[in-house]
Amino acid sequence: MQRILLAFLLIPALAATAQQKHTISGTVRDKNSGEVLIGATVSIMELSRSGSISNSYGFYSISAPAGNYTLITSFSGYRSDTMIISLNKDLLRPVQLLQTNSELQDIVVSTTKKNANVTNPVAGVQKLSVSEIKSIPVIFGERDVLKTIQLLPGIKSAGEGNSGFYVRGGGADQNLVLLDEATVYNASHLLGFFSAFNSDAIKDLTVYKGAMPAEYGGRLSSVVDIKMNDGNNQSYHVSGGIGLIASRINIEGPIVKNRGSFIISARRTYADVFLKLSPDSSINSNSLYFYDLNAKANYKIDDKNRVYLSGYFGHDNFGLGTTFGIGYGNSTGTARWNHIFNSRLFSNTSLIYSNYNYDIKINSGNNDIIIKSSIKDWALKEDLQYYINNNNKINFGFNTIYHTFAPGILDASDSSSFNSIKVPNKYALENAVYVSHEYTPFDALKLDYGFRFSAFSVVGPGNFYTYDSAGTAIDTATYKSGQFVKTYFNVEPRFSASYQLNKTSSLKASYTRNVQNLHLLSNSASSSPTDIWIPSSLNVKPEIADQVSLGYYRNFKDNQYEFSAETYYKKLQNQIDYKNGAQLNVNENVESELLYGIGRAYGLELYLGKKYGRLTGWLSYTLSRTERKINGINNDNWYAAKQDQTHNIAVVGIYKLNKKWTFSANWVYNTGNAVTFPSGKYEVNGQTTFYYTERNGYRMPAYHRLDIGATMVGKKTAKWESDWTFSIYNVYGRENAYSIRFQNDPNDPSKTQAVQTALFRWVPSVTYDFKF
Amino acid sequence: MYSCTKVIQVNLNDSSPQTVIEGNITDSAGPYTVQITRTVNFSDANVFPAVSGALVSITDTTAAIVDTLAETSPGIYTTHIIQGVPGHTYHLYISASGKIYTASSTMPMSVPLDSVTFRHEDNFGKKTIFGVVNFQDPIHVPNQYNFTEYINGKRLNKFVFAFDDQFVDGKYNSQALFTDSAYIKVGDTLAIKMDCIDKPVYNFFKTLQNATNGNNFQSASPANPLTNISNNALGYFSAAATSTKQGVAN
Repeated sequence: MQRILLAFLLIPALAATAQQKHTISGTVRDKNSGEVLIGATVSIMELSRSGSISNSYGFYSISAPAGNYTLITSFSGYRSDTMIISLNKDLLRPVQLLQTNSELQDIVVSTTKKNANVTNPVAGVQKLSVSEIKSIPVIFGERDVLKTIQLLPGIKSAGEGNSGFYVRGGGADQNLVLLDEATVYNASHLLGFFSAFNSDAIKDLTVYKGAMPAEYGGRLSSVVDIKMNDGNNQSYHVSGGIGLIASRINIEGPIVKNRGSFIISARRTYADVFLKLSPDSSINSNSLYFYDLNAKANYKIDDKNRVYLSGYFGHDNFGLGTTFGIGYGNSTGTARWNHIFNSRLFSNTSLIYSNYNYDIKINSGNNDIIIKSSIKDWALKEDLQYYINNNNKINFGFNTIYHTFAPGILDASDSSSFNSIKVPNKYALENAVYVSHEYTPFDALKLDYGFRFSAFSVVGPGNFYTYDSAGTAIDTATYKSGQFVKTYFNVEPRFSASYQLNKTSSLKASYTRNVQNLHLLSNSASSSPTDIWIPSSLNVKPEIADQVSLGYYRNFKDNQYEFSAETYYKKLQNQIDYKNGAQLNVNENVESELLYGIGRAYGLELYLGKKYGRLTGWLSYTLSRTERKINGINNDNWYAAKQDQTHNIAVVGIYKLNKKWTFSANWVYNTGNAVTFPSGKYEVNGQTTFYYTERNGYRMPAYHRLDIGATMVGKKTAKWESDWTFSIYNVYGRENAYSIRFQNDPNDPSKTQAVQTALFRWVPSVTYDFKF
Repeated sequence: MYSCTKVIQVNLNDSSPQTVIEGNITDSAGPYTVQITRTVNFSDANVFPAVSGALVSITDTTAAIVDTLAETSPGIYTTHIIQGVPGHTYHLYISASGKIYTASSTMPMSVPLDSVTFRHEDNFGKKTIFGVVNFQDPIHVPNQYNFTEYINGKRLNKFVFAFDDQFVDGKYNSQALFTDSAYIKVGDTLAIKMDCIDKPVYNFFKTLQNATNGNNFQSASPANPLTNISNNALGYFSAAATSTKQGVAN
């Protein structure tokens, strides 16, 4: 351990002994809006290996010996920029790029690094940048980034009516979803039909499927890092869309021209209007709506300092008649400060507040009760990037989060039969320090390796119980406020490498360890917003995942086609499940109901994408398996996890017919989830009851559907742009099984039968989008 | 456009027959019965074979009385002398087809059901009548209850209403027994039997409720109900303090 730290300290010394170099640095922006561009490639034409990729705040830094050079900046969806520079001291050169016209085909520019998918050392990454987000397919009437990533290999939808998604066999709680650095606990609305993000306001989305860089931590399976737009700092614009299911509006503009801007995006659905149209009386008295609001402001104090303030508020409401209702929502607030120390050292400091809460209302006669639960986080994050030279970059920093869990409050009215109960709060402090090195030892090899040191501390005040394996409390310890009860230390090595076989193909390998200290308990076969988050404790250990992956990446026809084949193996420790009949809500002793074990997941992901031309799109296929072995379940044997889907296929196509019309279509197929079905039956308590043998030994029927969409561009003037989008979800109306129940045949009680419920067949949608 | 249901064919595996035991002792006058049957495969008819010729005995360990049950009809074994008394513990012993099954249940103190009233809801677009049980829960004592409804003398078999006092300790309860549609019409006589049961028997009915009431949002991964009988038997053995009240739906 000490030798590795020593090696890191030597690197700057080595750099200093090299030939005297100067640095060009600056921020890459969109010329018309002032938005910083993330992931643009800036390089010196005359020097090989002189590329720098602009970071999350648009910052780049390149070193070179004194001389005259041509600086080239390129970014997908934009015209490349060329700048002549005379380098004899450190220079500050901001870059401004113009968006390409959508009709023009970018065929030129031989130095453009469009093979970033081949050269990027980090394996298992998918990225959607600003121009790609505009051309994703329409699903359920919306262009939704979270739905789109579920069409990529290794990322699976949790299915209709379920929130969340699964990455490489991991659970729905194992994905870290970040919106401008704040954690979003439940990234979906309306039971998974819509994501919590208004795609109008999103600039960049990167998904790490396991090999995440050391700056990220806290969840086992993936990181979805979403960056919002900053807002046009040149002129005011309003844009939005009015649709059958939801409407949205976006307002942005300068605070001070060229120095600061703001953006506000809001969205609301009125899906309940459709429920009221249903003739089925068990549906039409229900309410179902959500709204969300993103607000952001930023201001450039001077060339070296910039501050941001952003907030997100989202809420869902779901009600069955007057008797039952669920409300839940996320709110986050972030304050950030970018500071450029010098042309080589960039810093970002963030102060983050995050709140996730839900309440369940039950109103039956004199029994009105509300069950509430929430998580509040305060976090401080410091990230530094040190650009030593063009072959060495060090990222380091720390992150500290203070969590407050309110696991369950039952509020009963005075006349109610119920007693009010408050399960005591739980508190935890999550700390991490990381350092990583992006290193190019020679042209063909790029490394990205590092360590994350994490410490999770369970903190008082409270009573802490220790349970034996039968669930009986064998010890109680009382701690005061701020006292440390237990700390779990973990070292998480992260290692990624890409080796370029030639200009168009590469091999990538990675090994990573991830640790997760927040666990989602879900007492249902489907995930729901009322599932409970609990922290690691005296009884619940941190979950640990070790993943290795190996991939082959190849581009064809001058980077028009991208192909990749990647295989992974993941080992999971300290996985959690629950005893039969566990009481998870409002239960102070919920930890006595838990069972523990291990898991493993492995698979092969194939991807073929066409990036340019009239027709773009991709084919994605994943073959995989994910299993668990929990003490006390399935006789301690391995069983398929619910989200195990052997085959997963997506075919996506977007066709630009002409200036006016664009068509999109996507077809998805997956093997059904693993599920527990009966293998016999008997009579008890006067009822036919079913007999179960193994856990998850059966499969739901296969799921497949086709969606199509068409966008028609309307009249376009200097002041007003608009378009109409039409789409049909599930074009051939397949009844995809949501659940399968077993019961006596109502027409012949001497027999039993299986009954399938499917949710949505054809769902048409029309949206009118405008911008001025 | 909205949800639809249909009957489908599912290929389910067969399983070897398992023993199902259902035994009930109450504080009403005896005799009491224990029924032993077997499971069948899903595709078979709902005819559940009785297990005959078993040796069944129940011991009241508090009163030190041992009763050997007689098979009065196929698979049904009846007591002679044992009485159900609140506070007493009863042990069940069965020897059937070379296997031994045992269970134990303690009858809780009696909590009386005061009355049956009715609640009218206008949910789901139509008027539905639900039965309401009214009783006082004893404070500072863990209590578990199981309710059974009889409409015009006929038992309503589709639902399990198992309930404990975790959230209502010491309160006067007026709880509606919710069903998924209208079973009670105006003018019907609704009788509700309230059984006060011990924790292991409550766990059986609670997990049976999870498995059968078919509530899609909170349905846990299906599993066999938690039994208080040994040796992989299905079913339960219950000693319950019981009371029944009825009312006419208005």
